[in-house]
Amino acid sequence: MNPLPSSISRRDFLSKSVAGAGVGLVLGAPNILRAADSGSPDAIHVALIGFGKQGEVLFNCLRNIPGLHFQAVCDISDYNRKKGVNQVASIQKSPPKGYSDIDDMLAAEKGLDAVVVATPDFWHSPHTVKCLEAGLNVYCEKMMSNTIDGARAMVKAMEKSGKLCQIGHQRRSNPRYRFVLDELINNKKICGQIVNINGQWNRSLGASQDIGGAKIAKSIIVPNDVLNRYGFKDMHQFMNWRLYRDLSGGPISDLGAHQIDIFNWFLGAVPKSLFASGGSDYFKQREHFDNVMCIFDYDTPQGGVRAFYQVLTTTSAGGGFWESFMGTQATIKISEIASSSSINREDGAPQWDELVAKGYLKRKPAPPKPPPSADTVRSYESAPPEGFDLPGGFNKPAHQPHLENFFAAVRGKTKLNCDARHAFLSEAPIYYVNPSALSKQPIVFTPEQLSV
Amino acid sequence: MSTETEASCAPPCGAINSLALTYGALLLRLWLAVRAIQTGIEKFAGTTASDQVVKVDGVPNVEGLTSSASLKEYALSHYHGVPAALVDKFKAEPLMKSYTVGGLHLDPLHIYDVVLGPALLLLGITILLGIANRTSLFLLGLLYISLTWGLILIKQDDGVSWLGIHLILIVMALMLAQYNRFALLFKKW
Repeated sequence: MNPLPSSISRRDFLSKSVAGAGVGLVLGAPNILRAADSGSPDAIHVALIGFGKQGEVLFNCLRNIPGLHFQAVCDISDYNRKKGVNQVASIQKSPPKGYSDIDDMLAAEKGLDAVVVATPDFWHSPHTVKCLEAGLNVYCEKMMSNTIDGARAMVKAMEKSGKLCQIGHQRRSNPRYRFVLDELINNKKICGQIVNINGQWNRSLGASQDIGGAKIAKSIIVPNDVLNRYGFKDMHQFMNWRLYRDLSGGPISDLGAHQIDIFNWFLGAVPKSLFASGGSDYFKQREHFDNVMCIFDYDTPQGGVRAFYQVLTTTSAGGGFWESFMGTQATIKISEIASSSSINREDGAPQWDELVAKGYLKRKPAPPKPPPSADTVRSYESAPPEGFDLPGGFNKPAHQPHLENFFAAVRGKTKLNCDARHAFLSEAPIYYVNPSALSKQPIVFTPEQLSV
Repeated sequence: MSTETEASCAPPCGAINSLALTYGALLLRLWLAVRAIQTGIEKFAGTTASDQVVKVDGVPNVEGLTSSASLKEYALSHYHGVPAALVDKFKAEPLMKSYTVGGLHLDPLHIYDVVLGPALLLLGITILLGIANRTSLFLLGLLYISLTWGLILIKQDDGVSWLGIHLILIVMALMLAQYNRFALLFKKW
């Protein structure tokens, strides 16, 4: 890969990308969607490590990014590996080489520029460290590791190698989240003082069942000796590693990490203390809690903030997943799902007519006035807040902007939106949620607990 | 035997009636032709999304927010004979199942899906131009009957009534066919 000039500004990059996409639409999308040839001088040569469900999600974004050449696919499962090789072969002339072992791949493959790691959490750190030490840039799915020491090792390896290591907190590159933070919270300060945060990921029982069931198709079975060699007891562990304490952090890291990261990112702070409660209330045989609630306390330059977060795997009540930043003048509720987002101005806060006129916000139609009811106590009620929307969205798969940011950084065009050090600062408090819930004790963080 | 109307109608009146019937035949023909042609063309309609960077305070936002506009366009690649919303319903019907005859695999739904759009276009054009007008109207009637049968299968009673009105119009057009003065080819057909 030839490095490109790094003097391009973010705005230039954006406008040129959009112009390119426009030309592509007119001339025919396949021209810009096809993966690069292996000999293309500007191609970034990529290996995909882990091609399970999440690996496939990432590949379906990667295939939309121009200039990538997929050189290898690595997965211990024959089924996953073949699936990955076939999907890559369908979009580029030269099929990738398949490997079952990452060491074999790193020894054999020359000329790789980057890897995308989508293996189970407990393999993230070993795989990322190996690849950084081999001189490769790494995009690794979150959670960084199943242990805080594993995450620390990733930060150290990134800084020692001088290579890029982006962690897959994809909301950090989501244009809607970036606009809310940069323009609405920091620039226009529409929330006033943010005093409380609320977030949740409530998932229905149906979506929280074990994967695989009683009878697993022969074609996807991985031999036991292979499973044992790579840290899995059996196929159930291989397919449901998120349920096991030695392999993952459970729902609070699997689902909660995305959103607690947003708390810390938006506040620009780390919590000073934590109190959590959890229980195996429905899935009694599982090692991890199926329901966890926690409260983080922050000291910020504007004052104290309390952030409540819950991850429930037994109900989808309350509208799925979102984060709500409640300020004295407005509340911004944001989610990866645009329809679950809303912005409400408090009664008595400054008017936003100018913000609407300049395009920072769109006004939502006023809801119909409820009929008078005998059971309302009007003197105790706040007036209903005015509703607003963001002025736009984005029309791409959720993970694509974050991957685009990574590969733009590999080309030297921009900085990473979530490198391993920043991801660590944000993730570190999450490693203490399960211990707090298990001990039923609050934790007041020491600097050592949250540092590399 | 002459009717009272004919008997009381002098030559100028008869001429006016004949002209009115010719106009009637022409209007009905045009209506049925336009209905069939545009329905056929709509089978090739689809939408494409176009994204534009949102401007904030007069300049494109740097965060990458876009707004999507959905544009309607016509292309061969958009072709869908049977609307997607109805395909699954038809697939669930036992009378629509595919079968094999003498080693030949037949999928009636697929065949119908392929044929419907071109058939509507072809018959619409022949009716518009007056090519074998009576036969074209008859075939269009058969096509509407086939659509009616499909809608009966999936219990779309409103659609059945709607097609019934189309069929009445076709029958009226056939009754007026003798007054049709503008035909290109195969006038007796």
